[in-house]
Amino acid sequence: MKIYIYGIIDCSDQMAESIYGLGGTGVYNIPYCDIGAIVSEVNQRVQDVTEDAVLEHEAVVERLVDKYTVLPVRFLTIVDGRIDVLSLMRRYYRDFKDNLERLRNKREFGIKVIWPADKIKENITNAFEKTKQSMSASDDSPKSRFIKEKYEKYKIDKEFDEKASRFINAMDLFLSKFAAEKKLEKLKTDNLLMDAVYLVEKAKESGFREAFEHIKSAHPGLKYLLSGPWPPYNFVILPKKPGLLENTGQAIASDEVIQSQSFVGADNL
Amino acid sequence: MITNGIVETDSAQEFIEEIEKSRDALPTKIDANPQNVEKGLARLVLTLIELIRKLLEKQAMRRVEAGSLSEEEIERVGETLMKLENKMKELKQIFGLKDEELNLNLGPLGDLM
Repeated sequence: MKIYIYGIIDCSDQMAESIYGLGGTGVYNIPYCDIGAIVSEVNQRVQDVTEDAVLEHEAVVERLVDKYTVLPVRFLTIVDGRIDVLSLMRRYYRDFKDNLERLRNKREFGIKVIWPADKIKENITNAFEKTKQSMSASDDSPKSRFIKEKYEKYKIDKEFDEKASRFINAMDLFLSKFAAEKKLEKLKTDNLLMDAVYLVEKAKESGFREAFEHIKSAHPGLKYLLSGPWPPYNFVILPKKPGLLENTGQAIASDEVIQSQSFVGADNL
Repeated sequence: MITNGIVETDSAQEFIEEIEKSRDALPTKIDANPQNVEKGLARLVLTLIELIRKLLEKQAMRRVEAGSLSEEEIERVGETLMKLENKMKELKQIFGLKDEELNLNLGPLGDLM
């Protein structure tokens, strides 16, 4: 029987309430010192990656978040047995404790912002067209024209990128006031201006939401998505330690082997 | 089933499309099976050449911007970059590769293409 891990919690007691995990199996705590690994048993080699299974995993983690500080474990983290779980806990005990302390009473919010990239590029190009007349000469050689065209594109892209940075900084200025930590990504696509996650103390969540609403009203031409509160998937920091789960490699899917050194949180998702 | 987290947006479909687009930009595996090993390898090699070409181009643009190139040097750089670009087009055509197939996710630097 293999063990499916949902999360690490700051409690070594058995759970008072019944929670059911993937495939309707009972969820329980494997204690180690003063922390615990929340697990259930799985008899299949690897669970199917279905939307239902992902939601079942998330539902367990969210139930835990209501009562404990949780380090959420990646979907489909399966080890060979109880001994492997305990070995994992022993090896990472100090790191788990540090993370649990850092993430206590905090939850994660996601913010995505879409801007009209085509329109913004068009405006930049038009502004550039006005200034470039003086620098272009009709008697340029093809090589020189080639460079000038490339340079024009380079300047437009650069201005586009700088404009994106300015927008993100302006939004982040408000949001950061209420956040303990953050991770921002700029222009994952031309339109997806910002893809950010913020770690917010429970007591500051309403302030964070208000800041988000303020940003929305300040920039009505953009499109916004706010999600959360979520377990702090993106804020668990673990050092890479070789050998984790290596004895169970033959029993777990290749994805889990790849995940094995960063199985807590979602840093590399 | 999920009790806490909620998603608030007026433009769900647009966000779904953008997220899917950003996932498509992630590198895919080099498909090197006996039938198309040549194309698989060409794709790998051309992706790396394209990365170097783009870096050269960017460096040249920075120098143009800084005004550190003379007219003569601009001509020379222009010729080199033009030839490189044309050669890449030729090679892509020979191996039947499209621009988007030579993409590379450069982490915080974004995508190559």
